[in-house]
Amino acid sequence: MTKIDKPRVNDASRRSFLKGTSALAAAGWIGALTGGFVLKPDWAHAAGSIKMGIATDITGGIAPSGNANWQTAQFAAKQINDAGGILGRPIELILEDTASDPGIAVGNVRRLVERHKVDVILGGITSSMREAIKNPIVKRGKTLYIYPQLYEGQECTPHLYCTGPTPYQQCAELIPYLIKQGNKRFAMPSANYRWPQLLNVWTKRIIEEHGGEVVLEEYFPIDQVEYSATVGKIKSEKVDHVFLTIIPPGLGAFTKQLYETGFHSNGGTLSCVYYDENSVNYVAPRELEGVYSCLDYFHTVDDDFSNKALAGYNEMWPGSNYKLTAGTAATGMYRGIKLYEAGVNATNGDLDREAVSAAIDGVTNVQGMGGKFSMVPGTGHAAMNMYVAQANGGKWDIIKSANQVQPNECA
Amino acid sequence: MDDFIKITFDILSFSCIMVLVVSGLAIIASLMGIFNFAHGEFVLLGAYTVFVFRETGLPVWSGMLAAPFLVGAFGLLLEITIIKRFYKAAIAAMLATYAIGLIIRETIRGLIGGKFWAIEAPIEGVFEIGDSSFSIWRGIIIIFTIVIMSGCYLFLTKTNYGLKIRGAMENPALARACGISTNKLYAFTFAFGAALAGLAGALVVPLYSLFAELGLRFLVQGFLAVMLGGAGTFEGPVLGSAMIGAMVPGFQWLRVEIPFISYLLSPVFAEVFVFITAIIIVKFRPQGLIQKGRI
Repeated sequence: MTKIDKPRVNDASRRSFLKGTSALAAAGWIGALTGGFVLKPDWAHAAGSIKMGIATDITGGIAPSGNANWQTAQFAAKQINDAGGILGRPIELILEDTASDPGIAVGNVRRLVERHKVDVILGGITSSMREAIKNPIVKRGKTLYIYPQLYEGQECTPHLYCTGPTPYQQCAELIPYLIKQGNKRFAMPSANYRWPQLLNVWTKRIIEEHGGEVVLEEYFPIDQVEYSATVGKIKSEKVDHVFLTIIPPGLGAFTKQLYETGFHSNGGTLSCVYYDENSVNYVAPRELEGVYSCLDYFHTVDDDFSNKALAGYNEMWPGSNYKLTAGTAATGMYRGIKLYEAGVNATNGDLDREAVSAAIDGVTNVQGMGGKFSMVPGTGHAAMNMYVAQANGGKWDIIKSANQVQPNECA
Repeated sequence: MDDFIKITFDILSFSCIMVLVVSGLAIIASLMGIFNFAHGEFVLLGAYTVFVFRETGLPVWSGMLAAPFLVGAFGLLLEITIIKRFYKAAIAAMLATYAIGLIIRETIRGLIGGKFWAIEAPIEGVFEIGDSSFSIWRGIIIIFTIVIMSGCYLFLTKTNYGLKIRGAMENPALARACGISTNKLYAFTFAFGAALAGLAGALVVPLYSLFAELGLRFLVQGFLAVMLGGAGTFEGPVLGSAMIGAMVPGFQWLRVEIPFISYLLSPVFAEVFVFITAIIIVKFRPQGLIQKGRI
């Protein structure tokens, strides 16, 4: 192995600089100035490094998630580089800020493809962002694209791989469990956009298959602040369980008004499948207590690999506000980098897009956060472990886990 | 009967929230002729004050107490340094206040890390009437709003200082000739409007959550309320915002309670319908609900 150790100059200061800049970037103060950021590995290889483009929202409304993604990408790359790289070649990360704005993102992503000639691009958090950047990456850019966030499904573009959970994965275990607990009448208050609409199609189907009933399904403007009529209806219809897909900023008003009708104290239960360890910040504790979620990873999942990775991440980013959680797409980002590593290992170092893509399609049993995952050939989606959890004093108690849940997409 | 009380409470409480949020905007727009596009951010500053107090370990209510004074002082500073240069150019004033708002909003977005923060009300919990339960904090907001609005009305109509403010608005040159310092009055009025906005933000933030667009959310409806009620009076915009505030939950209740309407009116369209109704009213009463010069 031709591994040349470069002197580690200023490593600590570079890291602290990076931390400082990402904090400022999160603040939206230096966003426009960063025309891409290159994080070179500590050592080099004769054949050059493997270039991964990270296109994520460092600034703007989605910045808290985007920064968690960027930190996770750096952590995963460091893990791989410290262990000798991919077949001896180190990973080089190139960051472009997509700024929570698809219009800005398209140009920045093109820079990754054209100027930096990256081998793969990982990123995008919202569906509108994925829609905006997938063609510049996959079609015009002829580059591999890995999308890390839980999402509404139906993304079947060739050379685009999704490493977050699909609607089926998020409700196939959760809903039957809820119905078994005695919840029969469901309400589905939702934000009016694609993710809730398509997620609810699956949810409704599974509810009805298991003998439940949907008594209310409504779509609200994302920033609606007044839900009194809806929560009144939830009460008068004697709803057992609220399957919530309202997102911030409308979320705070809804959970509060629902709580104040006495829904929780009358035995009503609630689930929200994007709630994770970050939710304690934006949901008041009493409104979060007892809520169910279903994701591909929680900090309370107890397996050796995840425990070590989480500890490593926290050591690399001590005290960071941006946690390695599932709801922010950070676990999908981690999975995406491990997926690409497995793909390149399978092609024996060939970085040609068609070759890596074909290899990735058949990748099985790769370690990620929350357990191993396997690609389902021909679908661009992964089977992974899913966990049903319940909020308990700021932590998520795992109450049910399911191995290798199928994504049920693009089949 | 229970339903009736419940619906009345919901309509009244959101109406009061709108009145509270819009009152600062109304005072500045009506008495000074300035459409303050930074109003939403004054509301946000009030909410942010509560957040800062909480983060430093002080009780939430102390932040609510401090918010109007801090935001009022901030408004005074802005008036003295920037706003007073724009009284003669209403359009430029809109742009200037918009820019100020943008700066405040993005700064606060940075300070709160772009996140959403749940803030607890000083008094959480519910009270029950019959089968229905009601939020205590919403009840308190209703009482506060009525007290504050009555206070403002009495201040503007019954006190000597209120008379001077109205005089300075009616005819600034004559007011100056009578020995009234219009500069001081304008500075005070602007600070007063800002203080009201700060108080509104501090009081309503527990109902929602703290995020950068908190104030912006109410701004468009606020301007519509001023239009609906008629700029130039104090009661007009207050009445206008009460109406807008009543329509928002009102249409939602109609939608839920009357089966036929629920097919016609989706939640998204119910929001739009508020605007349509208001615009139709403005079409037939372009001078506003209450005409200028009554106060």
